[in-house]
Amino acid sequence: MKVLDVNGSSLSLALFTDVPHSKELLKSMQAGTLEPEVAFLNALLVLKCFPVLAAAHKTLVSKSRESLTTRTLHSELVYNYSASKHISESLKRCGISENSTYVLVARFNASPDEMKAIERLVGGNEIDLEELETRADNAQIQKHYKISGLELEISSLPDAITCRIAARDAL
Amino acid sequence: METKKDAQDGSLILLRQGAEARVFESTFVGRKSIVKERFSKKYRHPTLDSKLTVKRLNAEARCMTKARRLGVQTPALYFVDSVLYTLTIEYVEGPAVKDVLLEFGLHGVVEEKMDDITSQIGNAIGKLHDGGLIHGDLTTSNMLIQSGTNKLVLIDFGLSFTSTLPEDKAVDLYVLERALLSMHSSCSNVMDKILAAYRKSSKQWSSTMNKLAQVRQRGRKRTMVG
Repeated sequence: MKVLDVNGSSLSLALFTDVPHSKELLKSMQAGTLEPEVAFLNALLVLKCFPVLAAAHKTLVSKSRESLTTRTLHSELVYNYSASKHISESLKRCGISENSTYVLVARFNASPDEMKAIERLVGGNEIDLEELETRADNAQIQKHYKISGLELEISSLPDAITCRIAARDAL
Repeated sequence: METKKDAQDGSLILLRQGAEARVFESTFVGRKSIVKERFSKKYRHPTLDSKLTVKRLNAEARCMTKARRLGVQTPALYFVDSVLYTLTIEYVEGPAVKDVLLEFGLHGVVEEKMDDITSQIGNAIGKLHDGGLIHGDLTTSNMLIQSGTNKLVLIDFGLSFTSTLPEDKAVDLYVLERALLSMHSSCSNVMDKILAAYRKSSKQWSSTMNKLAQVRQRGRKRTMVG
């Protein structure tokens, strides 16, 4: 687990493999009964923490202006990590699905107790965030964010993702 | 849940002020960054002012990311704030091409370095133009040489737009030519070298070059007579 600072708030990140019951997690998330509320990100699309922090920053700014696009702070984080403006599509691709087993969990301003509760809730094995880079699916990332080989000659993949996240609403 | 209101990570340090925007140095979730703020013009009607400012802000963000997609290095975009009218972008370490050329003027040209810079400039503009992107403000102060990698980074897409017309591309090159003439007359053949690289990089170079010859005769603005 890692706690990162975003705009004076904190963002706790934890990475899990072999998550056993994503189906139930997905259901309780959709029903809004998840306790404590968290964001589940499709970790295959995450290479580095920085793009997630950029999405988190965007989320906190919208929150402070009461202008969230989605229903909760944590679903907004998942939506903001996506390159698409289509909400349900974004949550499907960048969030968890019924059969996902590899999940990045994020929560704003989490207490240590809450993170323990989340760990129990998710099940699975917690692994180090350093593993993100080796486990990410670069082909899927390039497809989702529409990143060409031409762009990668002058930019790293995480920077290209960050640009997509930042520019989405300007397009 | 507590969130700070409109907070930037770090403090803002004013670096430069222009007619349209102020440029600050700051940090963005732990990384050194540049914040470009377009301020409002008090002489304009408030509604019109905010519409224009947001439009230009978004256009700049779009053009910057489009340039990257075309394989031209620009600072990475971190955040677009359409309420405070700010763009937060990557901080690129390194001198402006302007300062490198002025240095050449003072202490003699380092040919190898000059050839590298001019070929990168021509190549970058060629890629932009073939992709239908016009920079709009090509001057040597809007080009940086990144320390360490010596790669050319184009900045300030505030006047950029998309166009495939040879006319717009020619004017883009003409603006650079004039800027080079006024700033760097001591390095005489810079533009020739840039154009040579441009010719190699752009597939549509011949129509642009023909147009450039016309633009040189009449200047940047088209005469509207008759």
